[in-house]
Amino acid sequence: MTWRIDRRTFLRGAAGPLIPLPFLNLMEKTASGATAAAPPTRFVTLFKPNGVHPPSWNISGGSEFDFRTSPLMKPFAHHKSDLLFLDNMGDFGFSSHANSTRRFLSGHHRNTKSASVDQLIAHRIAGDTAHRSLELTTEGLFPNQIGCSYISYGPDGAPIPRESDPQFVFDRLFRSPLRDPVRRSEMKSVLDRVGDDARSLSRKAGAEDRRTLDQYLSVVRETEKRLQNLQSKNSLIPTVAKNIERPPTPINLNDQVESMLDVIALALWTDSTRCITYMLGNSNSRMVFDFLGISEQHHYLSHFFRNFSRSNLESLLKISLWHMEKFDSLLNRLKSYRDQQGSLLEHCLVLFGSGMGHSDNHTATRIPLVLAGQANGRLKTGRYVRYAKNQQLSRLHLSLLELFDVPLESFAETSKPLPGLSDSDFQPYREIPFLSWVRYENDTITLQGRLRLSDDLDEARVFYVDVENTKPIRIEVAFRDFHNFNLAYHCGTPIKLVGTGTKQGDDYLITKISELTPLHGNKPGSAPG
Amino acid sequence: MVGSFCPTDHTLKISDRVVIVRLSLLVIGFAAAEVALAQKTPAIVSDPNITFEADIRPLLNRYCLRCHGEMDEIQGNINLRIVKTALEIDAAFDLWQSALELIDGGIMPPADEPQPTASERDRIRRWYQSRFIDDIAPHPGFFRPRRLSAHEYRNTLESVLGLELDVVIREAEQTVTEKSLVMKLLPTDPPGPSGFKNDTSANPLTSTTWEQYTYLVDNGLQRLFAAPHRETLESYIGPLDEELTRDQAEKLIRLFAVRARRRSVSDQHLQASLRKLKNAATDDLLPVLQSELKAVLLSPTFLYRGLLMNVPRDRVSPVDDFELAERLSYFLWADMPDAELLGLAEKQELQKNDTLHQQVDRMLESPKARSLAVHLGVEWLTLDEIEHVSNNPPVAEALRNQPIDFLHYLFTNNRPIVEVIDSDVAFINAHTAKYYPLDRSQLPKYKRPTGIEVECLPNTKIILRKTPERGGLLTMPGILAMNKGPIMRGTWVLERILGQDLPEPPANVGQIPTNQRGENLSFRQRFEVHRKNPSCAACHDKIDPLGFALQQYDSVGGFRGSPELVSKKHKLRASQADHQPPNDGAWDTSGRLPNGETFQNFTELQQLLVTSEKQRILRNVVQRFLCYALCRKLEPADRITVDAIVQKVSQGDGTFGTLIHSIVDSLPFRQTIWQSIEERP
Repeated sequence: MTWRIDRRTFLRGAAGPLIPLPFLNLMEKTASGATAAAPPTRFVTLFKPNGVHPPSWNISGGSEFDFRTSPLMKPFAHHKSDLLFLDNMGDFGFSSHANSTRRFLSGHHRNTKSASVDQLIAHRIAGDTAHRSLELTTEGLFPNQIGCSYISYGPDGAPIPRESDPQFVFDRLFRSPLRDPVRRSEMKSVLDRVGDDARSLSRKAGAEDRRTLDQYLSVVRETEKRLQNLQSKNSLIPTVAKNIERPPTPINLNDQVESMLDVIALALWTDSTRCITYMLGNSNSRMVFDFLGISEQHHYLSHFFRNFSRSNLESLLKISLWHMEKFDSLLNRLKSYRDQQGSLLEHCLVLFGSGMGHSDNHTATRIPLVLAGQANGRLKTGRYVRYAKNQQLSRLHLSLLELFDVPLESFAETSKPLPGLSDSDFQPYREIPFLSWVRYENDTITLQGRLRLSDDLDEARVFYVDVENTKPIRIEVAFRDFHNFNLAYHCGTPIKLVGTGTKQGDDYLITKISELTPLHGNKPGSAPG
Repeated sequence: MVGSFCPTDHTLKISDRVVIVRLSLLVIGFAAAEVALAQKTPAIVSDPNITFEADIRPLLNRYCLRCHGEMDEIQGNINLRIVKTALEIDAAFDLWQSALELIDGGIMPPADEPQPTASERDRIRRWYQSRFIDDIAPHPGFFRPRRLSAHEYRNTLESVLGLELDVVIREAEQTVTEKSLVMKLLPTDPPGPSGFKNDTSANPLTSTTWEQYTYLVDNGLQRLFAAPHRETLESYIGPLDEELTRDQAEKLIRLFAVRARRRSVSDQHLQASLRKLKNAATDDLLPVLQSELKAVLLSPTFLYRGLLMNVPRDRVSPVDDFELAERLSYFLWADMPDAELLGLAEKQELQKNDTLHQQVDRMLESPKARSLAVHLGVEWLTLDEIEHVSNNPPVAEALRNQPIDFLHYLFTNNRPIVEVIDSDVAFINAHTAKYYPLDRSQLPKYKRPTGIEVECLPNTKIILRKTPERGGLLTMPGILAMNKGPIMRGTWVLERILGQDLPEPPANVGQIPTNQRGENLSFRQRFEVHRKNPSCAACHDKIDPLGFALQQYDSVGGFRGSPELVSKKHKLRASQADHQPPNDGAWDTSGRLPNGETFQNFTELQQLLVTSEKQRILRNVVQRFLCYALCRKLEPADRITVDAIVQKVSQGDGTFGTLIHSIVDSLPFRQTIWQSIEERP
């Protein structure tokens, strides 16, 4: 054996982009069971913490088959035909970090006594895979609001511990003597050696040490017995273990996540598991993205109204783009693996998204959610599905359960699955015509029109109301008004608004809001979500 | 509304934490018994003619067994009937200690039961004195191999490999992660009978732990042979080319064999490994080497301490040089001996008095000596509880690091032991500065960087000049906050500082009544009514004065100031259960210790603690240190050692340095008996 200490032949080249694996070419046999009639469908979730800057994320206009992706979607836009963009998801005015995280896979924050959707699916599809599911994350526990640290919950609604170390996950999947016959025989010889050690000591031992050594030897024997009893299952693990180096020790978060994505793809391809959830960070994450040249904490930046500066917002967008790139990395990997007839992605359903929309006001509407993969032909991709009304996440979850043949009548207070996933059988969002106007009287401005958040990054705190035949009415209010009238929630919809401000020529400026009424009756509700 | 539930700590008794308390205090019991005896009857004449069967058992039958051994329900979990043979009587020495203390204190038998006569009490005393004090000959304790605790295993494995086994994760400071791969994977050690985790005697090896050992060794070797640690590896075996040479492989095996066994190893011991390397095909050299290294690191000689000690059988003899090196390094560093210690042991120079004490001083100066505060200190004082005080990790860490930094300073700077109680030094950072308003100016100004919401900060040592309400462990914010309410605080001081054992509270204590209409009683007044029953007094007479003396500190560790300064707002905030102030805003912090001394407030109590209670505190500290150093529970023969060290630290400044050096000099630390056949129960 040649010993090259610098060898780094894991799935990526040092430069980063995914390269076709030499050993994959050796593998004529496909991964997920040579005998199985159809490859199993896998379920993967990728969670992005701390919401988004909505003007950068939202798709504006367009229709189911004719739409343009937004600036934040750019990193993965080239997968458009494999994606299903969901819009108008979520229906809470405000949401705590913890609640929005719980809802991400549990449908409703009050659904605290049942398993999350990934676990219900895992239970259904695991079959005889070695690992029923993997729950992965990037950072430690956040005890301030413990709910921010988990998206996967077990049958009794209790959080499932997550693992964050890609090397450790790799070892568990591919290096365990329980799964790798080579490791097993190596282990046997080590057991022989240490057993000899203990026995030779025991011959001259006194009373106390003999007792200790007996105990030691009985553990050694027990382990030997277990190794003997293991049936060598026909699997790809030995091939993988022989051909792939474990992920290198990461030097930054990007390395860590890329390695974990490698392991995820490999785990799915080898059919070691069929269900994986991965959090790119805790909700409320205070991770510092130093490798992107950013020194502020993510959570601080995500409150871009309160902590506004152009450079803060740019940092926030850099972080969000990084999240999008990781989604892209995952899709690239899943596409590059052949799984029977087709790519691995065709046999996966990937759910990517966040728990909230507007990251400063924690608005749980228009939550970023994208589905990817064809789920063995059950998901119809290449579409933009914007529902007529705001949808509870639990409806999506019920549909996913249906898609994976989990027989459940209802989930998280919902019994109506969400249409539109496998077909165009949904009611699309439509503009309802309305009259728009503006009146100015003694510093009071009254108006009716469509509210929007400025898409100019220099003025991310500014809102506009579009009124026919006038320049857009500018709203520049303090945090209190922004928050109390929940401007973020009403963005994109027609409202009637009364406020204080000035008019100079055609330029209206509202600096204080006294009344805001949605024209179509959409209300955020008073219950905290 | 339901009144506050009698002592939060009664409820807490059920928790693991207090089980731990119980275990450890059995050991410490004799301190109080002895002090009590010394005070009442300075000279107890022992009487070797009193025998258990003829003189003591009849007294047990008459006065004790009805509740402690005969009924279906054994009171207080004390069953005197199971003690039969002479060996069992000796083994139960701690039981007799607490029994004697209770009988002597008039607590047992209970007042409504038949009472032993004065001469019967005296007979018990004399029997105890003779059997467990006067007849005890100096004895170092029997040798027992001991498995490394999880943190010792972590340190030792990392020292052998020369690299850190950390978890691969980039983490944000607000989150809680186990950073050590070893600590993440190994089961948490329960504290042993000594109360410390390094006493693994009751914690046998299981196949689960074995599996984790296997994984960790694999993982460690993997790292050693990977690119980032090339330099480390080359420092062991010289420059590496494409191929590992046979010489290099042999070099590494020899190095690891010495490190892992913590003593020099003869070629004869290495024969099997060397032969395998010799016979390995060139292509196979690396896997064979790794497999051999793995066997070294999974061998019992690595996992257990003492198996290779070279001493004569069945008689008291000094431990060998390598064992002494190990005892020193695991005591002061919780780690294996470094090259210097192993070198001295090899040359048989470590046993020389000057050399030995120079080494102790060198070791105390090393950063590794922080392990004394981090393990001995934290486990002795239950400082892990502080983690639950705040759910904001940087703040919880700040509160927890205060006592750790303080103890580290006392332990390694040769500070007087009583400074545990009274000191003008504190360690603070921006998170804890608010507790030291008039002295915080000594802290370098901290400005939170823009965009950072919260972060962990190092402590700065300050001198308390204008903060008389702080200083010493008892008034540290984290410690005040982890013990909620006066009863828990009093219990903690009694057990942890004064080393007093307390029996379990009865299960039916009920609740403390709320104020009835028209009543205006403070919590203390209502609590005193509640615990009027004489059987409560046995413990609460000792607990309550200590706890209520701290009533000027609120439940989060803040100082409420002098009574006239207590604002309405402050009262509202503090209005939870145990902290309700009386309506006039004055806190009753006065009290009377069982020895009759009285005090008006905590400052006066603090003075009593460092004067009239000083002996008890010193004895407690000596016993805790000795337990930790020996990694075992103390036995009757250890009393002689404890007495001698207590006497030593009672003179002059009585510093931690003196204490540590005295322990290193002590009989049980330096000597052992290796029994070839079992004699003990």
